Amino acid sequence: MKRNLRLGGLRRAGRQLTVAATAMALIALAACTEDESTDDSDVLSPSNPTTLSVWITSAQQAPAPDNKISKLLKDKLGVTLTYEIVTPDNEDQKIGVMLAGGQYPDLIGTGDLKQRFLEGGALRRLDDMLETGAYPNLAAHVKDDIKKMSYSGDEVDKGLYIFPNYNRFYGDITGGTYYGPAFWIQKRVLADAGYPDLSNMTLDRYFQLISDYKAKHPQTNGAPTVGFEILASKGREWGMTNPPALLAGSPNNGGVIVDSNNNASIYADKDVAKNFYKVLNQQYSAGLVDRESFTLTFDQYTAKLATGAVLGMHDQGWNFGTATQSLQSAGKDENTYVPLMPVYDGVTPWYADRPVMNINQGFGVSVSSKQPKKALKFLDTMLSEEWQKTLSWGIAGEDYQVGADGVFSRTDEQRKNYKDITWRSHNRLDALLDMLPKHQGKFSDGNAYSPDDQPAEFYATLSDYDKNFMEKYGKKTWLDFMNKIAENPKYYPAWNIKLSDAANQVNQQVTDTSVQNLPKIIAGKPADFDKNWQAYVDSLHKIDVKVYEDAVNAGIKNRLANW
Amino acid sequence: MTDATVSTPVPTTGLEPAPEPASSSRAQQRKARKNAAKDPKRKITWDRVWAQRALLAMAVPLLLYQILFKYVPVYGWAIAFQHYKPGRGSIWNQQWVGLENFYNLFTGVNGERFRQVVVNTMGQSVLTLIVGTFGAIVLALLLNEVKNLPFKRILQNITYMPHFLSWVIVASLASVALSLPSSGGFINQGLMSLHLVDEPVLFLTEPNYFWEIVAGTSLWKELGWNTILYLAAITAIDPGLYEAAEVDGAGRYRKMFSITLPSIRPTIVVLLIINSGWILSTNFELPYFLGNGLVSEKSETIDVFVLRYGYQLGNYSLAVVAGIFKTIVAVILVGSANLAAKRLNQETLV
Repeated sequence: MKRNLRLGGLRRAGRQLTVAATAMALIALAACTEDESTDDSDVLSPSNPTTLSVWITSAQQAPAPDNKISKLLKDKLGVTLTYEIVTPDNEDQKIGVMLAGGQYPDLIGTGDLKQRFLEGGALRRLDDMLETGAYPNLAAHVKDDIKKMSYSGDEVDKGLYIFPNYNRFYGDITGGTYYGPAFWIQKRVLADAGYPDLSNMTLDRYFQLISDYKAKHPQTNGAPTVGFEILASKGREWGMTNPPALLAGSPNNGGVIVDSNNNASIYADKDVAKNFYKVLNQQYSAGLVDRESFTLTFDQYTAKLATGAVLGMHDQGWNFGTATQSLQSAGKDENTYVPLMPVYDGVTPWYADRPVMNINQGFGVSVSSKQPKKALKFLDTMLSEEWQKTLSWGIAGEDYQVGADGVFSRTDEQRKNYKDITWRSHNRLDALLDMLPKHQGKFSDGNAYSPDDQPAEFYATLSDYDKNFMEKYGKKTWLDFMNKIAENPKYYPAWNIKLSDAANQVNQQVTDTSVQNLPKIIAGKPADFDKNWQAYVDSLHKIDVKVYEDAVNAGIKNRLANW
Repeated sequence: MTDATVSTPVPTTGLEPAPEPASSSRAQQRKARKNAAKDPKRKITWDRVWAQRALLAMAVPLLLYQILFKYVPVYGWAIAFQHYKPGRGSIWNQQWVGLENFYNLFTGVNGERFRQVVVNTMGQSVLTLIVGTFGAIVLALLLNEVKNLPFKRILQNITYMPHFLSWVIVASLASVALSLPSSGGFINQGLMSLHLVDEPVLFLTEPNYFWEIVAGTSLWKELGWNTILYLAAITAIDPGLYEAAEVDGAGRYRKMFSITLPSIRPTIVVLLIINSGWILSTNFELPYFLGNGLVSEKSETIDVFVLRYGYQLGNYSLAVVAGIFKTIVAVILVGSANLAAKRLNQETLV
């Protein structure tokens, strides 16, 4: 009896639960339906607050909660941003999960060269919206380059989906820092060698400089001096695989060299590559190349450069900024790097290119956004000169001064803040700005887009060591150390051509084979070089490289016809 | 497991008198169970099901969980036969390509690589399993002999602790330990000061060391943790057995080999069977974090390969094909381990 009673009680409780659950479900449903209504206004004002969710791929940190620009956005536009920031290393996995879920934030800032958001139908086609004339800044931004910026594949409708986040220039390109690929060398090496002439640089001279210095100074701050570091960490294998093309006088096209007939072919198995790795092999056995090169992760690589013990490496300027910053803040300017351009005999160097527009990378508006017009209006507003100055320079009077002649300048205190990561998280929106379309080049008042690009500011921020160093070479910027920038080929660059799955797979197989074999070739006995090289070439030829080359060539043809 | 619940009701339910005489010996119990299974009177009838409804009801949530999360998702295997692109709403709204993905994975350059990663996965797992099991048993036996309780506790806690470190940290520790002395590689430092080697060894660039490095690192991390089950099994041994052995004049070693080890044998076997199912699924973290181009021929495992060629290249179909392969092999492995244990007349799972 007793048991039955209890069961009855349970049943009653169960029924009540069911009722409650149904009620909850109904409420939830109601809430959902309410959510379905889209917001059709494109006005951003403080009287009508808006919350926009943004998804960003960036190595930049999220802003602090009390960030002053966040506050400004709220006060002036009524916009609150909720961020999700994913580091580039984790982007691949994250994209798959988001596509499978089918729910996206209002704004998607992607760096994905495989265009998975776009082809997965996550992004809204924006051409029609821009044509309404409600977004004048964006419309002007894309007008001249709309063909380059538009999607031309077959998976979704052709058209404009993503605003490139970098290198759409207004007026002249200014700036003194070099961000491209080079064989870098520490300033102290050149200073020690009496500031030798850097023109007609060859691999032999480059390694001779390093070897002479290392013999004289085997120790750096108590640690053994490292002659040459090879960057070969996951995802950055180009540090090891790209140099042959540059040595052969070809601009950075990734895994291929494109000849004068616009015909692309891989160079990993060619003599230009063989000659380079032969030199590396000899230098390795001479003890100049770091034995730990191939096992370093990217973080370990950066840490090693930051110790100041590494005399040289092949890398791209943007890739080791952290190491340079920490060397500078430790006052070790003589351990920071200058770009050199070694080439094979009789070849004109083509290391520096015209900065390439980051097509397919940047913000798009998601299909699941309930307020697409507001999201687009936000991008448009951010692209106005007023907001661009706020995002890039800061607040006038607080972060920079406007001179009587209208030229922007900063005090030493303001320059110091600009380099301080903690200060930046409270006073700048670095992650957001990383993905936003930008007014690079010059503003209509003649000031450069950012303090780094303002010629007077660039020179003023140089340390005394650097000023003296440049004086010795009679140069004014780091860019002056590079080749004169020629006009890029029309199709350029081949590395951001969107490939089919099959071609991507072949590309990965080539990279894997290189990563597997090149260390053996470099670290092997010089006597075994030919044997090891042959083994590498044999395994390369097992791969169906033509699939990759054909895909790249098709991309080049397409660009030549349409851009 | 459900099978067992039906055929041998737990005596404590009180729904039915206990069918078997209480006995302390496992062997006897097993025999009784076997007899019971053969007994025609023990057939499953609706009456019996009704009598055990409470137990069955308790099994329902688990059963639902299994069905919902282990069987229903199998429809996703359809992706293996498609040129799958995410974001098209339904997985039926895709281009079907037949066995193309299977050819892609099992033949040509990928096939060669895949065969290699399967061998690596098995090699690393089996080595880790053997070294780990052996180490855990030895440590459990040794700990069991420590009579000073506070000291034993301290020992146990120290050996557990690495288990709570994440693999990323363990992998970083290992890579530092194995690096050059100038980067903090104390293993090389030790070897050199003992004059075992003249020049530091670059352990992480030598493919033939990689499996051992994986097994050794896992041993360091999981040794203490793995002893828990064995220690628990040891405490369950009837102290009377030890007392009787002592009366018969058995020493410490005799007791260890004749009582402790045989008593935990069923635990060892069950754990081995369970772990054999994971042989193709473990070993992602260490190969991923410690592996590099130089050793990839020995380091890359199935999961790392799938991550790189499947997820990172956006080729989800290839990842699913590899997943199917892993499932099939796992089922075969567990089945054969179970069969082998049965042959050896050991405790089995099914």
